Amino acid sequence: MSQDNKKVTVETTGHVWDDDLQELNNPLPRWWIWGFYITFAFALVYWLFYPAWPIGNTYTKGIPGLNTITYVATKVDGTQETKTTHWNMRAKLMAEMNALRTEQKPYFDKVASKSFDEVSKDAELMQFVNSAGKTLFSDNCAACHQAGGQGKIKFAPNLTDDYWQYGGSYENIQTTITAGRHGVMPAFKTILSDQELSQVGSYVLSLSGEPNDTAAAKLGDAIFHGNKAGCYVCHGADAKGNIAMGSANLTDKIWLWPDVLGAKTPQDKLNEIKTLVYGGMDKGVMPVWGTRLSAEQIKLLTVYVHDSLGGGK
Amino acid sequence: MTTASVTNTEQYNYEVIRKFAIMTLVWGVVGMLVGVYIASELAFPALNFDIPYITFGRLRPVHTGAVIFGFGGSALFATSYYIVQRTCQARLFSSGLANFTFWGWQTIIVLAALGDVLGYSQGREYAEMEWPIDLLIEVVWVAYLVLFVGTLMKRKQPHIYVANWFYLAFILATALLHTFNNLAVPVSLFSMKSYSLFSGAQDAMTQWWYGHNAVGFFLTAAFLGMMYYFVPKQAGRPIYSYRLSVLHFWALIFLYMWAGAHHLHWTAIPDWTSTLAATFSIMLLLPSWGGMVNGILTLSGAWEKMRTDPVIRFLIVSLSFYGMSTFEGPVMSLKDVNALSHYTDWTIGHVHSGALGWVAMVTFGSFYHLIPKLWNTKMFSNRLINVHFWLATIGILLYITAMWISGIMQGLMWRAFDDFGNLQYAFIESVAAAHNLYIMRAVGGLFFLSGMVLMCYNMYKTIKSGSTEQQA
Repeated sequence: MSQDNKKVTVETTGHVWDDDLQELNNPLPRWWIWGFYITFAFALVYWLFYPAWPIGNTYTKGIPGLNTITYVATKVDGTQETKTTHWNMRAKLMAEMNALRTEQKPYFDKVASKSFDEVSKDAELMQFVNSAGKTLFSDNCAACHQAGGQGKIKFAPNLTDDYWQYGGSYENIQTTITAGRHGVMPAFKTILSDQELSQVGSYVLSLSGEPNDTAAAKLGDAIFHGNKAGCYVCHGADAKGNIAMGSANLTDKIWLWPDVLGAKTPQDKLNEIKTLVYGGMDKGVMPVWGTRLSAEQIKLLTVYVHDSLGGGK
Repeated sequence: MTTASVTNTEQYNYEVIRKFAIMTLVWGVVGMLVGVYIASELAFPALNFDIPYITFGRLRPVHTGAVIFGFGGSALFATSYYIVQRTCQARLFSSGLANFTFWGWQTIIVLAALGDVLGYSQGREYAEMEWPIDLLIEVVWVAYLVLFVGTLMKRKQPHIYVANWFYLAFILATALLHTFNNLAVPVSLFSMKSYSLFSGAQDAMTQWWYGHNAVGFFLTAAFLGMMYYFVPKQAGRPIYSYRLSVLHFWALIFLYMWAGAHHLHWTAIPDWTSTLAATFSIMLLLPSWGGMVNGILTLSGAWEKMRTDPVIRFLIVSLSFYGMSTFEGPVMSLKDVNALSHYTDWTIGHVHSGALGWVAMVTFGSFYHLIPKLWNTKMFSNRLINVHFWLATIGILLYITAMWISGIMQGLMWRAFDDFGNLQYAFIESVAAAHNLYIMRAVGGLFFLSGMVLMCYNMYKTIKSGSTEQQA
């Protein structure tokens, strides 16, 4: 490299700028110019394989027959047609989807034709259910129910426990996914006084063995079962809830809307209940999936949620 | 500082260059700091503290705006004014206009950042600024063009030096791109909101015609102009080939304009548009490399300076990264490679190997040459330049390695199918898998930012000694 200084014998262009800036007049490096030609050749070849140049209202489609895609299209009337076309993005997508659907179809057909129990007992089919279910669940359900279905307090129910607000049978879960759910609890702010809210709150806490003011809870019992507030109408006389309307079971340790377990002091726990009873709740919305997922996908998800996540009891 | 300029008042306007040079450093620190912060937000989303103004979506355009237009833009104003004056032996023809471009440009950067943070956005990448700011950019840019061309016309040299061609191409192309991409109708005279004149696929293609050529002319052609002055100056050697510079200049500016649609592969644009964009990107490879070849062959014969001169080291490494990312780009623009790389972190890695490796490194090298000249002194510490070099190089390597791995991993995970024909991974699994790489990226950014801060300290000491020498 040290000899390079001597090698600079090529003439400059003769111009000098800013005291010492000059330009040599070296020829183009040969590899550079050949490289340039090769990229042009590459482009030419590429144009033979793909749609490339616009001409009027149409465009060149490459050499006919050189780079074609064959796919099956389903028409509006349900009949299928096999088409072969020059390379294009849409046909490529169709062909790839065709191939994957062909792989999935026998399994989806099996899921559709068998009863829930039969699917559940078919170990090989359950491998498919778990494989497809994981992705279907993650891409559609996990945004609310969280990855793995553990849910989120004050937002979406936990699907991995044994408690099912709208029922945990296969049929219940299938209905929930297909048609969605909308849980509402009315506000009692105009019906109950603050003192009465405390009393009914204490009673609710007593049902699941949370610390409470026993005297107040006793008065709350009367409010719960009385006709002024009428809590028992939805939650039941035994306060165990009703899956037909999604009213919560108040006697277990599972809480979704008031964060009783997360509240630190007995007073905080009481306030959680009071706030909910005072203001009511209108956020228990599960969207309708019947219009977004196919019936087979929903059936598969039902088995996945029932068997692999929760286990309906 | 005013006293310092007295000596040069006769021949050249250095005052405006000094101001742009200082703001280059300021925006460099601001932009890179925001970059490190949003990189950390991606690794640890809790860092947005549920404050809308500092969420990733709003700070990201602050980052890109501050580094591209604040840091890069100010560096280009500074170096173009320096080079055009020195190679034409002519003073900028209007100090008033020069000052107007300075204050105008700085106002634009501040307003753009404010707009981003407050949630005003056209939703166009690198063109988020809403219409009132766009109008201001238009005015300032035309002033820049008039000043640059006016000064070229006053030149005492018969020939226009190659660096100036690149700067002029950059100024003209940016004016064109900015104008057409921002054609929009405001909702009302007193509303910040506007709607683009284009819609659908045409809107997307206009945006990426702008977006890609912003990279091509703002971040490539203009910085090649910088390279064509500072590399031969620092090396003390003539440009390797005049012929190569002419040929690769015209090839570059002709071919670049066609390539933008490669940002839209596998979307609703026509197939033929996508093919043309891919092939023109491939044909861009050698014209892009022309600049690297000319720069590196100019430096060859001065290789021993690699050991002693950290500025040369910055310039060599910047040319190497330039060569690498202009090879990577055409490869990524091929349909089948793009099917893997599109929407992944690979793109982010590619952009940063260009932005950090080429744009920032060539700016650092040039500024270590430029700033002592502007203040008529020597650099405060060569050792610190060397430390900066290593911080920056390690930072870039960490950054782009992390993004390559995470990008290719994302691309492979998104297209993986199991034996049943089901997608093997849910999207969220690819997010979780990238977590550690996002931390590594943020650490790389932190290295790069530390180097930038060190540079500011070194420059502060240099400028201070320059000013005291002048006054003494």
